[in-house]
Amino acid sequence: MQRFRRSALLVFAAGTVVLAAACGSGGGSTTTVTAGNKNTASSKVLTGAGSTLVYPLVSQWEPDYATKAGVTITYGAIGSGGGIDQITARAVDFGASDAPLSADQATACKGCLQIPWALGATVVTYNVKGVPNNLHLTGPVVADMYLGNITSWNDPKIKALNPGVSLPSTKVTPIYRSDGSGDSFVFSSYLSAVSPDFKSKVGASTQPPFSTGTGAAKNSGVAASVQSTDGAIGYVAISYIAADGLNQALIQNAAGKYVTPSVDGIKAAADAVTTAQPDGSIPLVNPPASAAAAYPLSTYTYAIVPKSSPKAAELKAFLTYAITDGQAFGPDLGFPPLPSAVVSSDKTEIASIS
Amino acid sequence: MSTRAETDLALPRRRTRPHFGDLALRAIAGAAALTVLIVLILIAYKVTQQAWDAISTFGLGFLTSSEWNAVTNQYGARDLIWGTAVTSFFALLFAVPISIAIGLFLSELAPRRLRGPVGALVELLAAIPSVVLGLWGILVMGPFLEAHVEPFLIDHFGWIPLFSGTPSNVGLLPACLVLTIMIVPIVSSICRELFDSVPSELKAGSLALGSTRWEMMRGVAIPQVSGGIVAAVILGLARAMGEAIAVSLTIGGTARTGWSLFGSADTLASRIANQYQGAATALQTSSIAYLATILLVLSLGANLTAALIVRRIRRRMGAR
Repeated sequence: MQRFRRSALLVFAAGTVVLAAACGSGGGSTTTVTAGNKNTASSKVLTGAGSTLVYPLVSQWEPDYATKAGVTITYGAIGSGGGIDQITARAVDFGASDAPLSADQATACKGCLQIPWALGATVVTYNVKGVPNNLHLTGPVVADMYLGNITSWNDPKIKALNPGVSLPSTKVTPIYRSDGSGDSFVFSSYLSAVSPDFKSKVGASTQPPFSTGTGAAKNSGVAASVQSTDGAIGYVAISYIAADGLNQALIQNAAGKYVTPSVDGIKAAADAVTTAQPDGSIPLVNPPASAAAAYPLSTYTYAIVPKSSPKAAELKAFLTYAITDGQAFGPDLGFPPLPSAVVSSDKTEIASIS
Repeated sequence: MSTRAETDLALPRRRTRPHFGDLALRAIAGAAALTVLIVLILIAYKVTQQAWDAISTFGLGFLTSSEWNAVTNQYGARDLIWGTAVTSFFALLFAVPISIAIGLFLSELAPRRLRGPVGALVELLAAIPSVVLGLWGILVMGPFLEAHVEPFLIDHFGWIPLFSGTPSNVGLLPACLVLTIMIVPIVSSICRELFDSVPSELKAGSLALGSTRWEMMRGVAIPQVSGGIVAAVILGLARAMGEAIAVSLTIGGTARTGWSLFGSADTLASRIANQYQGAATALQTSSIAYLATILLVLSLGANLTAALIVRRIRRRMGAR
């Protein structure tokens, strides 16, 4: 009996070793086969991750591009910060961010291009019982709310901007993005530009150190948080206002006008700022007073792609589609089409991908 | 004469070589134990390696600084350690008496027919995923606390620093309550096992001497298993300190050091979960790894303390 058991154990052990060897070598050959296939079968897939602002637009591109070019785009809306992380690790084929790469991030990404591929905006939203839509606010007032200097909705500063509106004494609860967010970058850049207090205490970043309020993850989290908290003020990407039925605040621009966040307002901002920064980014926040109809929290959103990629051909085709045919889906979601100057400079950038 | 007879008998030789099966068992079990040890050391090593940048930049001052600023690149863990300490402490404060009571109820007091179903229901609480609990926390419990419980506490007990502040649907209190709900199933099922394991002669003897049920539990059952209860509490503490998702959903995310239970705060695990992906600078990523190192040290410290306490209790029990 013992001999039987021992030989059974030996056979089992030997079998496991053989199986492991077979799997190992079989796995090896399978990977080479897959690697071979990668150039044909899975090259029909492009993966991307990043900005939640551009996500509604990308999700329109996915089915359309699949029919037009037969390539499946898989996009994960994890936030601009996450998108930069993923493309730096080359875990995806392209990243998307509303915030341009910082110096540290550009070094870490090792030769990444940032290509503006859509125009959008961040909108200030609020939820106060009894207060109607389209409240008038200014940058400095919003900055004070996020610094904790204005604590209730019937503060004289807010009342002065909205003489006809009866404001309750509800406590102001600022909601901000807790993850690395391009919308945070746009929002904090704008407030830093118009409020020196905000600039020194908080500053512009994808993760600004807000000292008061509640954090929520992603645009959807902020929208949910604002809707469930009476007295909340927050900031979301423009598509989420219509999609979730949120209130929008009209922010006074440099020309003194209260501009509705809309395709026209964003387009006016894009027309006013045409020079790119050395790193290829075009900041649209707080456009000059000469642009009277400009919405002050507009932004380009960028595709972050490596200069050299194994899927260069598919990437170039997709990016070209995005800046040309893809722009047609934009206006319904609040994204105006890219200016032609930006499209042509983008095409030059795209051509340099190899 | 007898010795010659024994030596003449051809006794079967005893096998002195070890069984192959014994060797194999020893090898496999030993390998498993060694693997766990190796994984633990590797995790600690890798996390500390990632954190090294921040450790060399900030040193131990990281533990006392309350800055967390991605713009100026200054980071500190003080507010987060405070948040972790407060949430874990209050979660244990609420959960331990409840769990001991549930353990006593299920092992001593409940009618026999009820023990199975009620025990199963309590353990079912542990099966709720933490993200679902977090969602319930922000959608149901948070608004309820903000509308009814917090104003009541502020009106009547507002002079206690714990209950000062303004009502909010996120903050330390909802997070503590969510953690309590998570800890109770673990600690109570261990307590129940412990109370079941008290020798019935001890319980019967105590009752026979005329003690009431409560005196028996207080004088015999609980002291007998006090070591085990400490271990169970530390298990609950480890769960509370490490919980990231449910806490990050209910706590609000703005770190602060303050006595008020109302209003946003943040803990180590929640900050790591929120900010790891998409950190703006390399130093921020490294600081988040530093937070993870602190959490590791705290957890290991708690477990070591538990082991020491249990050993001391056992020694005292053995000496008696």
